[in-house]
Amino acid sequence: MSIFGFKRSNRLEDKDKKIALLLTDLTSLEDYINDLFNFFPLPICFISPLGVILEANPAFEKTSGFPSEEIIGESIKRIFDREEISSITKETLKEGLITGKDLSLFRKDGDNLIVRVFTRTRTDENLKPIGYFLGLFDLSDIKRTEDELKRVQAALLNILEDTEGARRTTEEEKDKTQAIITNFTDGLLFFDKNHNLALINPKAENFFEIDNTKGLKEIAEIPSFKKLTEFLGSDIRDIFRKEFIMTKDFILEVSAISMEKDNIDLGNLVVLHDISREKIIEKLKTEFVSLAAHQLRTPLSAIKWSLRMILDGDLGRINKDQKEIMEKTYQSNERMITLVNDLLNVARIEEGQYAINPAFIDVVKICQSVIDSLADGFEKKGIEFKFIKPSRKPIMIFVDEEKIGLVLQNILDNALKYTAKPGKVFLSIKETPTSVTVEVKDTGIGIVKNEQKRVFSKFFRASEAVLSEPVGSGLGLYMAKNIIDSHGGKIGFKSQPGKGTTFYFIIKKEETNIS
Amino acid sequence: MKKILIVEDEEIMINLLEKKFRDHGYEVSSARDGQAGLRLLREQDSPDLILMDLVMPKMNGYSVMEEIQKDEELAKIPLIVISNSGQPVELNKIRELGAIDWLVKTEFNPQELLEKIKKQLGE
Repeated sequence: MSIFGFKRSNRLEDKDKKIALLLTDLTSLEDYINDLFNFFPLPICFISPLGVILEANPAFEKTSGFPSEEIIGESIKRIFDREEISSITKETLKEGLITGKDLSLFRKDGDNLIVRVFTRTRTDENLKPIGYFLGLFDLSDIKRTEDELKRVQAALLNILEDTEGARRTTEEEKDKTQAIITNFTDGLLFFDKNHNLALINPKAENFFEIDNTKGLKEIAEIPSFKKLTEFLGSDIRDIFRKEFIMTKDFILEVSAISMEKDNIDLGNLVVLHDISREKIIEKLKTEFVSLAAHQLRTPLSAIKWSLRMILDGDLGRINKDQKEIMEKTYQSNERMITLVNDLLNVARIEEGQYAINPAFIDVVKICQSVIDSLADGFEKKGIEFKFIKPSRKPIMIFVDEEKIGLVLQNILDNALKYTAKPGKVFLSIKETPTSVTVEVKDTGIGIVKNEQKRVFSKFFRASEAVLSEPVGSGLGLYMAKNIIDSHGGKIGFKSQPGKGTTFYFIIKKEETNIS
Repeated sequence: MKKILIVEDEEIMINLLEKKFRDHGYEVSSARDGQAGLRLLREQDSPDLILMDLVMPKMNGYSVMEEIQKDEELAKIPLIVISNSGQPVELNKIRELGAIDWLVKTEFNPQELLEKIKKQLGE
């Protein structure tokens, strides 16, 4: 027994020793686990299958804000969203674990945290769950960063949208501009700052009979186009509504505008306007005026000559009564002639404004032909007339010969009409390097001061002029001014009542003076 | 007797001028259009002076003058244009075509014309 007992006793002793040893191991393991549990920086708690918090580590206390004594034994539902945590508990007990589910944690201080939760069940020896561990990551910072990112993303999207909007607006504007250029009823050309063709619209292509397969460089080489670029000049000066004759029946009105922004030369815009139709109408009008003049003047001159010859006794003697009536008829006819001349003058004024056809012409030659048509008048009236030329050589100016002739004719005609015998009328031409001045000086009746302002107005006749010459339209100087203005020139006068008047007009020598 | 040729399409004008000039001792012949005028010039003895309108049927005054210029003898005859329109530019053209003068009918009368012709013919 003793041996047995001893043996047993020995065995017992060994057993006790072993147990003691195991207990020591167990204790140190428990300490180890406790230390680890306390140290672990991740919040962890242990929850019973009924959802009661059985243990919580310091990290959990810190994250939840609850000291462990306030939550141990409490329902986990106090800390988490009820429904969310119920489903976590259920799922964990069923599946054994959950890896990463986001839910809300209600801190003691009232703040809400978004946490990602991991769980795992603990089972007894019969594999029956006795509870589960719940560990979590605080996602608040990540959430905050994520929100921030979302805001930044939204802001970026907004900016992108704005940029896209701006891009679309620009695109629309560009389309609009493009549509205007394409559908513009006038031809448009754009030359870059090096004077190379940079843009041509379909209408302009049409003018030059260019098919749209041609490149800009090819277009620039087309003879009719070259003619235009020569017309524009190598430096493409600004021009306003200048006529450019493509062919006899195809006339363009050309305007060139230099484009600049902030003093930087961008290039030149050239507008081509087809005025062929207007030109035809203008021509028809001139033809009509000429026809009407002839048709009206023919019977008037026949009446004039017949009456004159009867009055002069060429067709036999007439008595006093007959003569008196004939004389009155003759005067009526003269008024009719004046009226027709006035009608013609009005038509010519309009031509003066709209139909300047300039060419290089000798101003001396223009003067001479006007003088020739009036020389008899001066001689008949007994007025000394002198033409003072600066030299024998021609003085070339770029003008409409007919219109300038009309101006001079009006001025000389006035000098003749309003200068009495034995007066003098001098016509002189003065030349400077840049201009030519034509001057008509008379010793006539002059124009009184208070009427001088109105001399160039339509239908105006000075009171002295009406007294000395009742017939007159008051259109001559109005027309003259119109014509000189159209040539970019200047017309003026100096006058002393009773002593005489000097009329002059100045024409610039450059060919750019036609507006 | 000095001879004047009138080329003019207006019957009344011809009548008046014929009367005026004949009464003052001129021999007058006349044509109603440019073509007839040119024919007279070529077929008959040359006149001492030609009076011619510009706007006429068949052949206008400008064309007649061009034809006259081609004939050395005819080109020597003084020619005065009598027309209904009058603009300085036309005068230049007329001068280049050999006319010595140009009268606008509404601004002259037969008496003045007669005096001009007398002067021209040195009478």
